[in-house]
Amino acid sequence: MSKLDHALSEIHHMDTLANRDQWLNRIHPLVKLIVTVSYITVTVSFHKYSLAGLLRMGVYPAALFILGDLSFTDALKRLKIVLPLVCFIGLFNPFFDRLPVTNLGMFTVTAGMISMVTLMLKGIFSVLAAYLLIASTSIEKICCALRIIRVPPILVTQILLTYRYISLLLEEAGRITDAYSLRAPKQKGVHFKIWGSLAGQLLLRSMDRSEAVYQSMALRGYRGEFYYGRNAAFRKKDAAYLLVWSCLFAALKLV
Amino acid sequence: MSHIHICLEHVNYNYDTSCPVLKNITFTAHEHDAVGLIGANGAGKSTLLKLLVGLNLNYEGSIRIEDIPVERNTLPVIREKIGYVFQDSDSQLFLSTVKEDIAFAPRNYGLSEDEVNHRVEHALASIHIEHLRDRQIYKLSGGEKKMVSIATILSMIPDIILMDEPSIALDPKNRRRLIHILNQFEHLKIIASHDLDMILETCSRVILLSDGEIIRDGNTMDILSDKELLEAHGLELPLCMQDVDNLIHVMYPRQHS
Amino acid sequence: MHMADALISPAAAGMMYACSGLAAAYSIKKVRLETDPKKVPVMGVMGAFVFAAQMINFTIPGTGSSGHLCGGMLLTALLGPYAAFLTMIGVLLIQCLLFADGGLLALGANIWNMAFYGCFLGYFLIWRPIISQKAGRRRIICASILGAVITLQIGAFSVTLETLASGITDLPFSIFAGTMQPIHLAIGFVEGLITAAVLVFVYESRPEILMDVTAEETGGRLTFKHTLVSLCIIALLIGGGLSLFASSHPDGLEWSIERITGSAELDADASVPYETAGSLQETTSLLPDYAFRESDSSFGTSLSGIIGSLAVLGICIGACYLFKFFRHPQKKEAK
Repeated sequence: MSKLDHALSEIHHMDTLANRDQWLNRIHPLVKLIVTVSYITVTVSFHKYSLAGLLRMGVYPAALFILGDLSFTDALKRLKIVLPLVCFIGLFNPFFDRLPVTNLGMFTVTAGMISMVTLMLKGIFSVLAAYLLIASTSIEKICCALRIIRVPPILVTQILLTYRYISLLLEEAGRITDAYSLRAPKQKGVHFKIWGSLAGQLLLRSMDRSEAVYQSMALRGYRGEFYYGRNAAFRKKDAAYLLVWSCLFAALKLV
Repeated sequence: MSHIHICLEHVNYNYDTSCPVLKNITFTAHEHDAVGLIGANGAGKSTLLKLLVGLNLNYEGSIRIEDIPVERNTLPVIREKIGYVFQDSDSQLFLSTVKEDIAFAPRNYGLSEDEVNHRVEHALASIHIEHLRDRQIYKLSGGEKKMVSIATILSMIPDIILMDEPSIALDPKNRRRLIHILNQFEHLKIIASHDLDMILETCSRVILLSDGEIIRDGNTMDILSDKELLEAHGLELPLCMQDVDNLIHVMYPRQHS
Repeated sequence: MHMADALISPAAAGMMYACSGLAAAYSIKKVRLETDPKKVPVMGVMGAFVFAAQMINFTIPGTGSSGHLCGGMLLTALLGPYAAFLTMIGVLLIQCLLFADGGLLALGANIWNMAFYGCFLGYFLIWRPIISQKAGRRRIICASILGAVITLQIGAFSVTLETLASGITDLPFSIFAGTMQPIHLAIGFVEGLITAAVLVFVYESRPEILMDVTAEETGGRLTFKHTLVSLCIIALLIGGGLSLFASSHPDGLEWSIERITGSAELDADASVPYETAGSLQETTSLLPDYAFRESDSSFGTSLSGIIGSLAVLGICIGACYLFKFFRHPQKKEAK
């Protein structure tokens, strides 16, 4: 089934990117997380009419895409999930907000149009920033960053386990639906009569697997607590990276 | 006389009251023993292995590991002594990278980070998979996963190794490697499998289980060459012996038909 | 229903992060109190299950389109509200990072809108009251559908409120809510049906893993098909009633659109939540903005500003390429 396959290949693709040996990948995950969140925060905090200021924020994704050797088109594909809702909401602005701002020849630019463009730009920039983070930082490294900021181990472990078993269960779900569609070639999805048993089988198997996982943990000394090794150390490069971007974001916001 | 590591006396076990899964199991195993646990599907091989590590506790009779009875409150001690390799590596390996997973047990035992690293390196080196150290688990092949599963229990430095169908889903080359590794271990090992060719190459002693009972316990060659015995309990001669058997048939047709 | 980063102001996002964080802290405490070491592996694998199951297309009879599973309601019935909530956090975080489904900044809001309502309301308001008295097919189906519909309605309403409170859009409250709610009514109903089918299957094959299902009982007399049909009729009645109400009510959807096209000076009577939230946003945003729509001059300057910004962006991109160009030969030499 295409959706399952697509999800699988997307996971593998992002994983390959995140595990490249690049300068951006080597930056400390916590530093990248902080920079990403502050970038998104600064970006969305621009006023809805300050198009000029917002455009300058494009410096960050532009620089990282070029210097980090990442594909811009790959990132744009990810917009298709977020952009529809943003567009739906943004498209109404020109109707509600018709205050003329300036004329470009015959065409009158209204405040609503500007706010629509800024909203879309915010949507695009924030998706690009998140892409830059995940394309250079694996989920494991992000979990490592979460541990440093004292997110409880129970939550971090749960995220790691979910991530570990996603590809496995996607493959299993793929096999089940493949086996189904081979015997029901004319159907697009899963017929309602077997909604329950198809997903239910997968659920019970997942439950059994979690039991086996628990046994494997218990046999290796697990008693309800998780311990992790030392976190990656901060280096001067990481501090420099953090300093450069945070100064730049502050400057771009203030100018 | 070597030290007795595993001692079972009159062990009975049932999942529910209706049908017994294991009946009157009695055997001992010593240091450096290599025991093959064979039997058809549903004979009780996995159940027996799980009893030894206390994954199933409400059994009757006595199970002692190095003279410690297997009970709820002795489980931490017992599990430190035993390494259990699951049939399904994907359930065994639940962390994201090879190194993290191998370090899981030593970290749970409260070892220092240096000692943990030392154990990880030692486990990787002893089965020659140092190159897999930083790999992600889901990207490993089936054979690699099996090797890493073994490494995750070697980092515990166990006295006893239990393996449930270790050669299943391995290609010939990986299977050969596995046999080589198994023969290197000096630990007491119990290998449950119906891959009798592998048992033949790795174990000196075989316990034949059928319907939850020990049918025969003895020398590997004696049991694995007994065609009638094996076939009566849902098994077949190991492939290498089938060739010999066929040859005998061709050479002395009258005596064997 | 995932909120995007662009739709939420930093203040609202922080607020939602705080709420979700509190709920998460409380859940962690509760899960720890259960002292069941199995819980974490089960949560991890079930999170992956929800992830995978949501990728399966379930055909909706007679429509040709497909629906998906309601993760929050399913998890809460299997794991209880606290563990289910933590599991959903993991699922939402991974969805947001790997698939750009929702944003990093909006994650707190998304956790609240989907995980909190789905798990906590779904459990305490719907699952437990319905199931704990007497379990059965019919009750499980009712609970699943009610749960999915109600939690999704509240979730969608929260999206509306959060977006308006962030001062992102000029869309009036009535039209925004008027679009969001009916869409999510249909989605919720389908999600509820699929979730019900799965839970009924679990109930019939392994009832002990469901929350609050204690005694072994035989299912209700109604078959799944009958229940499906009767629920469809109820939904149609509710849907029809709602649309009648919407079209007759002066604040309804169509009337709003009429007003939009008829007049431009609508903002003056934009709904109250927007105004208050808008002022909240101005006072709490990182730096108070100075470019306001009332002053024409600010737009005059900003047009030239836009051109300037584009120039800055262009120079920056050029500089990056130059830097890369000069760095590569160095690398080769080093090798």
